[in-house]
Amino acid sequence: MSTQTVTEAAVGPAAPGRRDPSGRRGGAAGRGAPSWTTSRLFANILTYAFLLAGALLMLGPFVFSAMTSLKMPKQFNTTWPLTLPDPTTVENYTSLFSERYNFIVPIAVTAQVVLVLVVGQMLTSILAAYAFAQLEFPGRDALFWVYLSTLMIPAVVTIIPLYSMMTSLGLKNSFAGLVVPFMFGSPYAIFLLRENFRSTPQDVLDAAKIDGAGVLRRLWQVMVPMNKPILATLLLITVVSQWNNFMWPLIIAPAKEWNVITVATASLQTQYNGNWTLVMAATTIALAPLVILFLVFQKQITSSLGVTGVR
Amino acid sequence: MNGRQRVEARSAYLMLIPSFIGVGVFLLLPVVLIVLLSFTKWNLISPPTWIGLENYRYILTWDEFGNSLWVTLVFTLLAIPTSIALGLLLAVAINRKLPGTSWLRVLYVLPWVCAPLALGVVWKWIFDPTNGALNAIIGQRVEWLTDPDLALPSVVFVQIWSSVGYISLFFLAGLQQIPTAVYEAATLDGAGVARTLRSITLPLLRPTMFFVTVTSVISSFQVFDSIYAMTRGGPGFRTDVIASRIYNEAFVSLRLGRASAMAVVLFAVLVTITLVQRWYFRSRITYDMS
Repeated sequence: MSTQTVTEAAVGPAAPGRRDPSGRRGGAAGRGAPSWTTSRLFANILTYAFLLAGALLMLGPFVFSAMTSLKMPKQFNTTWPLTLPDPTTVENYTSLFSERYNFIVPIAVTAQVVLVLVVGQMLTSILAAYAFAQLEFPGRDALFWVYLSTLMIPAVVTIIPLYSMMTSLGLKNSFAGLVVPFMFGSPYAIFLLRENFRSTPQDVLDAAKIDGAGVLRRLWQVMVPMNKPILATLLLITVVSQWNNFMWPLIIAPAKEWNVITVATASLQTQYNGNWTLVMAATTIALAPLVILFLVFQKQITSSLGVTGVR
Repeated sequence: MNGRQRVEARSAYLMLIPSFIGVGVFLLLPVVLIVLLSFTKWNLISPPTWIGLENYRYILTWDEFGNSLWVTLVFTLLAIPTSIALGLLLAVAINRKLPGTSWLRVLYVLPWVCAPLALGVVWKWIFDPTNGALNAIIGQRVEWLTDPDLALPSVVFVQIWSSVGYISLFFLAGLQQIPTAVYEAATLDGAGVARTLRSITLPLLRPTMFFVTVTSVISSFQVFDSIYAMTRGGPGFRTDVIASRIYNEAFVSLRLGRASAMAVVLFAVLVTITLVQRWYFRSRITYDMS
């Protein structure tokens, strides 16, 4: 489910840009000054208050946790929890990376897992989506229906059998155990790409076909470049969901040297319960890359989906 | 089939091989395996032994399983209507396009892109009775996560907090697809705000409502990470959602057969919910269109 949402998240912001010139905004401006009655003013104030209160509530936990991670444990334990760090210290972070906690390991493991899964899922999904969208072969629709129906299988159902499969292959606490079950494409990605590949202008593909381009060349030199925006979005979705993954890594790789960042954060919190300045440094490390990624790419996704959305 | 078609079919099958491993070996095979495992007794140490329907017979009368189904149901019934209502309200507020509010949308979606586990740990601190942010603000000692009556509402709150922003994006997209002309006609006919909402906005948002409800219910039935971080199912099983029960039974108590049986039941429940919701909304949509 988490995968489905980034697209929509991206669709949301894209839409107003398209609509603005002819849409509601123009209408509101057209009604203009005369309707600026007290009730409208009141409604506007209420809207602002609601949106602002919500924004504070959303942002609060992020700010508070980052703030706590910059405090000395002594200050945290002796003063009101929401006072500003005084002195501001990175001691929690340096001790996280010291030999005792060795937080560099989970970061490295997570980065590698995300990399392998993203490359694997993108490649296999692109291939499959192209076959389903553009090629004729016996059994295509039935097979696609099978792929689609696997969208209904919840993770918690597959996790016990996958565990038994991976352990019987001797892959518990190994890199392979972390990535193998999930690197061969995802039904959701295949579904999303197929929809986009199907609506790619056929004449360009036909032209390439007439020029004698084979299937793979048509895919890599025509289809992929023409669908960059959706591929970029999918890339982001995959990075987000894999970086955040917890249940499978927790089960298959509990040994410290194979902990991903979420598992390492959870075990740090269990082990050093009450040592909140240290734990908040860990959560900040786990959260920061995605927060930054999201804020940076917000615009790009917006515009990229604006392009696909016009269709 | 001529030669050209045969070549095309062959390349199609070749291109599908990798994803077929993913779907066949790592999605469909596990479904078969979990059904088989649910008929066995298996503790990871000795190989699984066949015990027939014993696991199902056991969990049917097992208080902890019934409790976890109940907790999941209450969790869902508290979280989803609230986050849908708030998400809709948020979408309507953002859709008024007041100057300076468009960038706020980014903030609301922020929790959704973040790891539920990490957010759960942050909230565990916020809810901490002695050093937590919440009690510091209200100036009172409240045991948010350890009081049996408060634990479930507290984790539900976190679920709402993290999902409301992204739910609002669906509604926002839906709202923006409603033609302005419809509202203008309604205004001309003298329809007020409430009437417009009830007779135009809500019916036209029904497809969005369907999608959001189905996906939210399904994800809410699988919630695990944030519960693991905040309560591990406690106090006294009060927040022991079904995924957390399955996890504990399988990987803490090492009763994988019994855990498999629970997973099979969960799977059946989720498929049923999906089908029932689809049927329900389809009939409602037809009704409104006619």
